[in-house]
Amino acid sequence: MIGYLRATGERALVFFGHLGRASLMWGNALSGIPRWNDLLLLVKQIYNIGVLSLVIIVLSAFSIGAVISLQFHTQLAKFGAEDAVGVGLAMVLLRELGPVVTALLFAGRAGSAITAEIGLMKSTEQLSSMEMMGVDPLRRIVAPRLWAGMFCLPLLTAIFNVVAIYGGMVVAVEWLGGDPGGFWIGMQDAVEVWEDIGKGMVKSVVFAVVVTWIAVYQGYDTVPTAEGIGLSTTRTVVLSSVMILAMDFLLTLSMYGDFR
Amino acid sequence: MADDNFIEIRGLRLRFGRRVVFDDLNMSVPRGKLTALMGPSGTGKTTLLKVIGGQVRPDAGSVLVDGVDVCSASRAELFELRKNIGMLFQSSALFTDMSVAENVAFPLRAHTRLPEDSIADLVLMKLNAVGLRGARDLMPNQLSGGMARRVALARAIALDPSLLMYDEPFTGQDPIAMGVVQQLIKRLNHALGATSLVVSHDIHETVAIAEQIYVISDGKVIGQGPPDHLRTHDSARIRQFMNGQPDGPVPFHYPADDLHFDVLRETSG
Repeated sequence: MIGYLRATGERALVFFGHLGRASLMWGNALSGIPRWNDLLLLVKQIYNIGVLSLVIIVLSAFSIGAVISLQFHTQLAKFGAEDAVGVGLAMVLLRELGPVVTALLFAGRAGSAITAEIGLMKSTEQLSSMEMMGVDPLRRIVAPRLWAGMFCLPLLTAIFNVVAIYGGMVVAVEWLGGDPGGFWIGMQDAVEVWEDIGKGMVKSVVFAVVVTWIAVYQGYDTVPTAEGIGLSTTRTVVLSSVMILAMDFLLTLSMYGDFR
Repeated sequence: MADDNFIEIRGLRLRFGRRVVFDDLNMSVPRGKLTALMGPSGTGKTTLLKVIGGQVRPDAGSVLVDGVDVCSASRAELFELRKNIGMLFQSSALFTDMSVAENVAFPLRAHTRLPEDSIADLVLMKLNAVGLRGARDLMPNQLSGGMARRVALARAIALDPSLLMYDEPFTGQDPIAMGVVQQLIKRLNHALGATSLVVSHDIHETVAIAEQIYVISDGKVIGQGPPDHLRTHDSARIRQFMNGQPDGPVPFHYPADDLHFDVLRETSG
């Protein structure tokens, strides 16, 4: 019993130690007045993190939209309700799948890349040499990646939703011959700007903060060896994925009304 | 702190886990002089440079650098102090996403408001000093280890700092480059009036330029003085190190049991 309590206490200390260091890193990185050079660094990171993630986001969105549309159409056709495919597709994507799947893909592509890059900079003493030159790596390396991640993920989510709905339309209307009027008008009537689009984007912003924070911290706190960087990169993807799904449940619970 | 000392270390203690790195270490680096820091591998010479730069906080003691106690200085004070320090890292630590010229220009762009033309001229001058003006457009992965170190040296001196710390500057250099780097370190020290602290295992090259040498071992300073004085020092440990003798009071082997005993134990499972 004593051993169990001691082990639990040690784990708690390690956890709060990490949380404290991550919070300090966050605070130090995002405090201070941005300069002109910071903007250039931000643009570069938006390209690395956002633009380079576009291909995987667009391809996945189209496939997911097409598959959902196909499944909805198959089931709804039994009741002669094919026109409802558009509504169902929009609801599922805007409220849940859009933010969640984009964040998961983002964690796998951009999050792992951020961790590996910062980790490698640490292991090759680039961060130390920057410090010794009087340049704060938290401002120069960490901050642009944090801002870029928080800026890009909501935008990627919006792109994901648009492409997925287009993919669903291609299947439901162009391929299976559904009524385009029913598809679009049903969606237009049912979707509310704040309730569906807005709350979905709130989720996306929360996921962006969580994923970029985890990715940057795992890189910054990595053990500077090949094995350490590998472990940190894996941890970024695993932790981010678990956190996205857990946060999604909590956000859905808190934002979408009374489930009792 | 005496004004004539740029660095003054008193009662420095540092442990990494159970391992004692420094145990009541005292040391002074005179302003404007070229001081060398020597000692067997693993005695914490690089760690001492990091302590001086404020990257590693000791458990006890004081480390005054140009009048600033780096042990109690705030993050902002440390970054301000470091603008006046140039450090050559053992691994070179060049920024891999920047060309050679951009690496050297990095501290100039970060800390000055010089126009790009002037920065380009300064970069060329610094690279010329280390013989790599023609390599300015190469990327770090296109450089040999010795060339990377010379680029890192050019970057370390870009801002003409008051304190220059070199971690193994001669490693990986061919005989010609070795002589150039040696003379460059000496010239920088005299021309700029900078204070230099050189960590090196290359006794011949270091002794030729150092005005004062500290030898550290087992977490303490075991000898100090001008190079000639150390070669004929009373201590057999210092003489062994300065003359590169394999046998002596400083063991070549990391502490371990007797070889025969170890082999028999492994064999018997």
